[in-house]
Amino acid sequence: MSRGEELVRWLEKELGGNLISAETVFPGRLFIDLKREALSAAAAALMNRGARYQVGVGYDARKSGQGFGLVHTFAFDKDSLLVALRTFAPEDDPEFDSLTPLIPGAGWSEREYQDLLGLKFKNHPNPRRLVLSDDWPEGIYPLRREVPHDLMPPAAEEVAFRLEEAPPGTSIVPFGPFHASLHEPAHFSVYVDGEDIKGCEYRGFMTHRGIEKLAQTELTYNDVPFVAERICGICGSVHSVNYAQAVEAAAGLRVPRRAEFIRTVALELERLHSHLLWLGVAGHLIGFDTVFMQAWRIREKIMWLAERLTGNRKTYGMVIIGGVRRDINRDRSEDIRAVLREVEREMLALEKAILKDRTIHKRTRGVGHLSREEAVKWNLIGPVARARGVDIDARRDHPYAAYDEVQFEVPLADSGDVWGTLVVRVKEVYQAIKIINQCLDKLEKLPKNEPLSVDLEGPIPASRQGLSLVEAPRGEAVHYVLTGEENRPERWRVRAPTYPNLQAVPSMLLNNKLADFPIIVGSIDPCISCTDRVLVVERRSGKARLLSRQELENLSRGKRSGR
Amino acid sequence: MWLWNKIKQLAISFRAGVVTLRYPFEPRTAPEGFRGQPVWDHTKCIGCAGCASHCPARTIFLRDICQEVRILLYDSSRCTYCGRCADLCPEKAITMSDRFELATDNRQDITQSIELFMMTCQRCGRCYDLEIKNYIDRLSSLGYRYDCLEARKVIRRSTTEFSQEELEKTVAYERPGRLEK
Ligand code: SF4
Ligand code: SF4
Repeated sequence: MSRGEELVRWLEKELGGNLISAETVFPGRLFIDLKREALSAAAAALMNRGARYQVGVGYDARKSGQGFGLVHTFAFDKDSLLVALRTFAPEDDPEFDSLTPLIPGAGWSEREYQDLLGLKFKNHPNPRRLVLSDDWPEGIYPLRREVPHDLMPPAAEEVAFRLEEAPPGTSIVPFGPFHASLHEPAHFSVYVDGEDIKGCEYRGFMTHRGIEKLAQTELTYNDVPFVAERICGICGSVHSVNYAQAVEAAAGLRVPRRAEFIRTVALELERLHSHLLWLGVAGHLIGFDTVFMQAWRIREKIMWLAERLTGNRKTYGMVIIGGVRRDINRDRSEDIRAVLREVEREMLALEKAILKDRTIHKRTRGVGHLSREEAVKWNLIGPVARARGVDIDARRDHPYAAYDEVQFEVPLADSGDVWGTLVVRVKEVYQAIKIINQCLDKLEKLPKNEPLSVDLEGPIPASRQGLSLVEAPRGEAVHYVLTGEENRPERWRVRAPTYPNLQAVPSMLLNNKLADFPIIVGSIDPCISCTDRVLVVERRSGKARLLSRQELENLSRGKRSGR
Repeated sequence: MWLWNKIKQLAISFRAGVVTLRYPFEPRTAPEGFRGQPVWDHTKCIGCAGCASHCPARTIFLRDICQEVRILLYDSSRCTYCGRCADLCPEKAITMSDRFELATDNRQDITQSIELFMMTCQRCGRCYDLEIKNYIDRLSSLGYRYDCLEARKVIRRSTTEFSQEELEKTVAYERPGRLEK
């Protein structure tokens, strides 16, 4: 009996009348509708069976008379199964049980819908504002249907986020929203005792752009991939492919094989450039600029290759619903092979020259340590999890696109620190090259005249759910689509890999040195823009002691030379 | 060990040499297939508005300023160079050019507008192109498939006679505002 059947049976037995329906519309996806009362019991049952929590999706279902919907999704990585639990709450009583006491990783999702939809969560340990700016008026919930997508309430003066008091015996060092070592706006209030970090509070979501709302009100199905691609400045294809897959799953479209291989090539090219970018940034953050310069020089070749293949170095624009827009023909695949050979050679040389360098070891080993148990508890994903011995990779566990036909390894490390992340990412570069080469071989064997995309036969039916995963360079990204009328999604939820990983940063920071703050935060490769989705202007009390960049540099130099 | 690593790093850096391009002093040409600014060929366009209703950035705008004249306005300031318009144009009137150095302090520099002379169909009263031999159906061919009505609303609007006011409105149309509700 497969995991899915076993689950459904258990739910039928235990929940009885509280289980409304359970269906598998698409292999590997189980969509369950429950009564509200049974939510936490069902979630606990899934977790006991070894599920990994992914994301919560709230939506406004008042049009169909169902009040507010809430979907929690879970992954069984060993069984290639994704489970979505959906419940509804009536409009006059939009309260759900909070899953956060059970699953800490659900904390943000729930706070998000508290802000955006006005849902309430019973027993949430930290029900503070998360997404909306501090001066956003109370009682306006942007994701509700009646709120226009371009609503701009007037800004209010003198409101500030209430950061918590520092624990006794510590003082606060604020990092961000703008800080030399953060590439994107986010605020960390770090509690330090001397040089040791004793805790941290995060306030982010300053680059919330309301993309999901835009897609649900203004765009049409085939406009969204181009907007999705602009969610992230690095992994664009990840989001466009992911969105397209979710819609295709919901609509029951079969994508031509050729298109799936081309998508895979685009995704792996993105992984290559992202890993090299991160390697460079990591080098820069620990003050090792040779790595930065050389990794980025190698990366540039891939950017130019992408420009030749797709017409742009970053926004590939390859994906539409049902397929891709451009082909990779023989000339182009020769071009790709040549560039990859060069990148592989250069990367090996660089690896040999740096991985034994003492600078790197001193700055990364034992830094940002988190045990495997903690990593599982926080639902870490991607290289951050793999560096802690958690063997997950959506490409292998939940194959999509053409990953079921290519062979690759999933590198793991068990050191549980920044060093492990670095090793994992460097090894993944070679795996990505291997995957692309295999895809090119297979592409050449496929019939040439196969269409690149399928045509829609008619409108996509409404109220169907689609759930898709893509292993982004930083970890798994989840897209949930509920199809709607008027040729656009009713609900589209994007969960970027940084979303769960960032929630665990406070634990990673604990008992590290302040000077290691940038590299620890950097080690998860935080993509704040992907994670955030309303512009926040934050005013902080001037109480905190500011550390100048010079001071910071001195600190980090002192550490580096072992003094 | 330490020294040996440093020597290797030095070797890599020396071998790579200076890689910074002398851009903008030496021009960098775009590769073949590059998606630069879209360019309209007014002799081919039949004014079907397919491009306008599919532009994800909603930056192409069509409006009938009188029964015979339809204006197509493209405001590059919002264009994301995705090439969707060029893909969907049934007449292949749009090409993605290799122009990418588009920074300007005057929006008019990067705006394109075409005046299209249209005929009125005696049967249905809708406008169609006069000069190119085309069926009226082609107007609604590629572009309008399963399109959303909401987006269409702002694009087609006719007045029975020429109106200076509509023309001015169209030309002065500022896209980054909001869609009419
Ligand atoms: S290239 Fe894309 S954004 Fe630009 S006008 Fe065409 S469809 Fe619109
Ligand atoms: S899609 Fe082509 S023919 Fe139709 S209005 Fe646009 S440019 Fe003209």
